[in-house]
Amino acid sequence: MPESVFGVVGLFDSADALMAAIPEVRARGFRNLHAYTPYPVHGMDEALDLPKSKLGVLVFLIGSIACVAAFTFEWWTSTRAYPLMTGGKPYNGWPGWVLVMVESTILFSTLTTGIGMLFAFNKLPYFGNPMLGSEAIASVTRDRFALMAASDRGALDVAGATEALRAVGAAALEVVYEPDHARPGVGWWVRTATTIVAASAVAGFGTWWAIRAYPTIKPMVNMEVQPRLDAQRPDAFFANGRGMQRPPDGTVPRASVPILDTVPDDAGKSLMNPLPVTAAVLARGRAQFNLHCAVCHDRLGTGHPWLDSTYQAFPVDLQTGPIRAAADGYLYWVISQGIRTMPGYAADISPDDRWAVVRYIRALQRSQDAPARDLK
Amino acid sequence: MTTATLPETPAAGRGSPALWALTALGAAGMAATYAVAGPERFWADWLIGFVILVCVALGALFIVALQHITGATWSVPLRRVPERLAALTPWIVPVALVALLSLPVLFSWTQPGAAADPVLALKTSWLNYPFFIARLAVCVAVWVWSYRVLVTGSVRQDRTRDPRATVTMRRYSPVFMILLALTLTAFAFDWVSSLQASWYSDIFGVYLFAGAVTSSIAATALLTIYLMRRGRLAGVTGDHLYNLGGLLFGFTIFWGYIAFSQYLLQWYADMPGEVFWFRERTTGAMAGVFALLGIGHFAVPFLGLITRNSKKSWKRLCWVSVWVLFMEIVDVFWLVSPIQGHGLHLGWPEAAFAAFFLAGGLLVVTRALRMGEDTPVGDPFLADGLHFHLR
Ligand code: HEC
Repeated sequence: MPESVFGVVGLFDSADALMAAIPEVRARGFRNLHAYTPYPVHGMDEALDLPKSKLGVLVFLIGSIACVAAFTFEWWTSTRAYPLMTGGKPYNGWPGWVLVMVESTILFSTLTTGIGMLFAFNKLPYFGNPMLGSEAIASVTRDRFALMAASDRGALDVAGATEALRAVGAAALEVVYEPDHARPGVGWWVRTATTIVAASAVAGFGTWWAIRAYPTIKPMVNMEVQPRLDAQRPDAFFANGRGMQRPPDGTVPRASVPILDTVPDDAGKSLMNPLPVTAAVLARGRAQFNLHCAVCHDRLGTGHPWLDSTYQAFPVDLQTGPIRAAADGYLYWVISQGIRTMPGYAADISPDDRWAVVRYIRALQRSQDAPARDLK
Repeated sequence: MTTATLPETPAAGRGSPALWALTALGAAGMAATYAVAGPERFWADWLIGFVILVCVALGALFIVALQHITGATWSVPLRRVPERLAALTPWIVPVALVALLSLPVLFSWTQPGAAADPVLALKTSWLNYPFFIARLAVCVAVWVWSYRVLVTGSVRQDRTRDPRATVTMRRYSPVFMILLALTLTAFAFDWVSSLQASWYSDIFGVYLFAGAVTSSIAATALLTIYLMRRGRLAGVTGDHLYNLGGLLFGFTIFWGYIAFSQYLLQWYADMPGEVFWFRERTTGAMAGVFALLGIGHFAVPFLGLITRNSKKSWKRLCWVSVWVLFMEIVDVFWLVSPIQGHGLHLGWPEAAFAAFFLAGGLLVVTRALRMGEDTPVGDPFLADGLHFHLR
């Protein structure tokens, strides 16, 4: 197969001469012009009439798709597939997704820029510009400026191009051929694909095997390995091989009285508030109430009106008749076990503090409905 | 040398009569505001004007210092534009003095009940009259001094042609950057955050800074285009505009990033001591303003300037800049106005204040357009800047 013509190239002594020649060669009907210069020449893009790079559009498109995809994924997982309420946020808590959307956009835009530039616009896997095999390139890397009338989809009037370049004052005219191995054939694609697959397989299986054969090597284990028992971990210390032992049946943690009643009304009958009504108890109750309860029930116990939009349940108004009428033990049970949509606070508030909260609720109720003698 | 071909400084004038009329009309409207709508409305609007003035003036100084600190040469031919815009800086003094009168009216920490508030009580060592006023004095002094070094020094260089002036400005710029960070943060905390002093947001100074820089880049772009269209900036081309547009684009993203970060953190943590501030600004009548801010301050300039050609086109840059400046007003309105309670406090008083501050500001800037040459002819890097090409 004969080598096809890549273009006809000529040399100029200065950038100005090159720039002046471009419109003239173009006027003779050679539109596909390449210029090779030792340094970037301002205005060259316009002079050669290079098309605007499409990379920006591509990056914008892929970036937007990534952004929308990230949103859709978050929306689907959070509202459809796994609607879990976290941190009291609505299922559709989109502000939290924005980070993921932004990062996905950036990631995919960057990848598109890199890959798109290399493959789509820098013509990988097109190995090397045939100009690199020319005589002229040596001068270009020193102090000459080359202009090439390049073939347009394989067609070039070589004689005409030579004539045109000579007419505008180009020296050292030369025809540059495109070697037929410049573009990879089927064999190259097969070899490349096989190599990538084989390399991935070796790397993947190798890693898999290495992780199994050699557990992770840690440069520093100071804090990590300690003579202690970890939850959810096997341990050889005890005969049953568990890390954490279960407490023997019937044991009770210190300072904790188990609540045996299963309904709050029973607790109302069986439990008594062990604390006296003193300023200290009330202060303790207020501190605990404002810390744990006021976020939902408000400082007066009336309930925050906006809670139902995010929490999707409205806290009971602690100032109302039924709660006023409820026994201390009933309230203690509610705080400890939670009720309906309200979580229990046994883990967060100690039993004594719970009783103090109950005392404080009584004080709150009285503050909103004080008998005349209180006001004297 | 290129400097020989630069046009002479245009003839002096006293400023357009229309601007004077508008300023006077605005002043009359402001007096009426005090009488009819009450002092709270008056001071809130005054504060909006004050904050925007500080933002634009300091943003302009920031742009100037940024050019020196990076040793940028592309921007030398148009550096006089932000320098002239910075002529707003000395005017901060009278506006700030008047604004001091708003302290007893607007600020939560000056109210009678403040000492009883557990959060405010902790802040009294910082938020008290003497220290507050002292901080303001220090800030304003730093700003006016920096203006003298960076702008007056540059204008003097037009006559002296002394390259050492460039060295002085380059040396001072990093110092200015640090001082700006400190003073602008203090200003943001004092004059905007402390309106509702129980609110916390550490990022707030940066938020105001981002708005300040975007708006002053926009103002710089507008003035540059104005002068270019009048042939007063020979040698400044679309390539220079491209860089201005790029800066505006970048700082738009920066603003969006900071604004969203501040919102997201408080939204996520949902602490009663923090979210009340956003509730007042995102619900009810302010919901629309909030949405406008998100779309207008970020999405519109972002999409408006995203392509390469849009940054080079003076028309596109022009309308995006006008829009960004408008958004800065909306932004500061959104920050300050809700302290007056529920509802949208927007009507003829705001129009009057806008007229006063805009027309007054334009008077200052148009007068500054006669300050020195149109390009810093004494700067040794001017020729480099005039030869700036993108490709
Ligand atoms: C996360 C929000 C939240 C917190 C915190 C909270 N509650 Fe509740 N509480 C609720 C809601 C919601 C209800 C109503 C439950 C329902 O009807 O489904 C409720 C109901 C109640 C009731 C009424 C029970 C009944 O019989 O109807 C009491 C009493 C009560 N809470 C006390 C407390 C106390 C005391 C605390 C602090 C230890 C507390 N709550 C903390 C949300 C909360």
